[in-house]
Amino acid sequence: MRELLDMWRYTKMVVLVGLAAGLYAAVLIPFKPITIIPGFTEIRPAAVLPVVFSLLFGPAAAWGSAFGNIIGDFFGTLGLGSIFGAIGNFLYGYIPYRLWRRLSAGQPVIRSGRGLLVYLLAVIPACIACGVFIGWGVDLLGLVPFAALANIILVNNLLVSLILGPILLSVLVPRVKRWGLAYGDIMEMEPVSSVRLGGVGHLLLWLGVIGGLAVGNALSFSLLPGLLKGAVGVGVAPFIALIIIGAFLV
Amino acid sequence: MFLYLERDTPLHTLNPVTKIIGLVLLLILPLSTTHPLGLLPSLAFVLFLLYLAKAFRNLRRMWWFVLLLGAVSIVLWSFFRQGQTILFRLGFLSVSRESVLYGLGMGIRLNVMLISGLVFLSCTKVEEFTLGLRKLGLPFSMSFALSLAFRLVPLFFTTASTVLQAQRARGLDLKRGSVIQRVKKYVPLLIPIFVYAVRNTDQLAMALESRGFGARRERTYYIEYQMKKIDLAVLLFLGAADVISFWLL
Repeated sequence: MRELLDMWRYTKMVVLVGLAAGLYAAVLIPFKPITIIPGFTEIRPAAVLPVVFSLLFGPAAAWGSAFGNIIGDFFGTLGLGSIFGAIGNFLYGYIPYRLWRRLSAGQPVIRSGRGLLVYLLAVIPACIACGVFIGWGVDLLGLVPFAALANIILVNNLLVSLILGPILLSVLVPRVKRWGLAYGDIMEMEPVSSVRLGGVGHLLLWLGVIGGLAVGNALSFSLLPGLLKGAVGVGVAPFIALIIIGAFLV
Repeated sequence: MFLYLERDTPLHTLNPVTKIIGLVLLLILPLSTTHPLGLLPSLAFVLFLLYLAKAFRNLRRMWWFVLLLGAVSIVLWSFFRQGQTILFRLGFLSVSRESVLYGLGMGIRLNVMLISGLVFLSCTKVEEFTLGLRKLGLPFSMSFALSLAFRLVPLFFTTASTVLQAQRARGLDLKRGSVIQRVKKYVPLLIPIFVYAVRNTDQLAMALESRGFGARRERTYYIEYQMKKIDLAVLLFLGAADVISFWLL
């Protein structure tokens, strides 16, 4: 977690944040008119970028994804939902490289079944965390129901990052390594958390994403009767806490 | 590309810090109630601000979006919100009079927020926004990265359009095929854009460092904004409007 702040001391990492954010926004904006839920989400081929950036640029991707999403909202959809959008995208750009580092010592190139499995284990929680966090936030504000937005973001992120991610990484990893722009080549990374602490973080993260998604959908579809009005905000909040604590412990 | 409009209005001359805090206060305003009638004064107020900013042109560009936003909100909330007076059922989902009213209220709330954002975007330059964030305490390197990203968007956008046209000329059709096939077609678009964007990182970082990036903690700015009486008056007014609306509704 400390590297999220330490990285700001490295000029190259600052530039990578700007590049990642600019590129994310530039690919997001042309697809703004193709809305799924107007004002909140659209078909996003750009959703692959935070994952790819994360595995290449590490902490710069987390900030870049958050900033890029804010810039995307500057084209007409800026609002309180933008805060949750930024944090959701921050998690989406933060979780994959943390989990990859925990699960594999190698470069993020998917050449074997094991590589694909590690990629899936690194990307799936990030996709769910992003959807659950944004869905929870906008439901809390009373803007869009959790079930409508969280599931759409999740499916879009999963579809795009699982199809495009491995292909893009196989082409880009060697280039980025050659240019000396992989995060490990630019800055000193803090050691991976101890097995026990990281394991707890990993467990909490999975509990948070699966629990948040399940409980959020159940409350949103009113499948759990007798609960209070506005229950999604309260019901999903503990899982949001688990996601955040887990993500930073991993 | 951006929604900023060069106009000579009182809103344009406000301090960037006032504009950012003012936007937050404006966005809080419609949270005071969910009733459509209670939200109408907020809608009228942000429309008045849009008029004051001489920015109806931006709203005209997005009127279809505003209407769609309201309609989608009514449909979504009608199914996802529970109520006593059931109008009809669709499987395990039901639509009630209360849920339709709630959806209408949320549609108005969304539009109040959208128009508040439009007012802000119409009278705030990107440089003012990043400077305002800096004055509010955002570290320089972060505001610089944000500012850099804003500046790079048009460049990357142009590159993306060029690559898209080049690939279309080679026969790429993004509209055909299954969802998976269509998603895969983005590979020949994304790789050249990415490579173009990232290749010059080293040079950009060196150029920044050769100009003393990060060498001094305290920085001076070419444009300095003063906090005037009008800024304080605007913030007090918006703060009071929030307090009163939460107290009344």
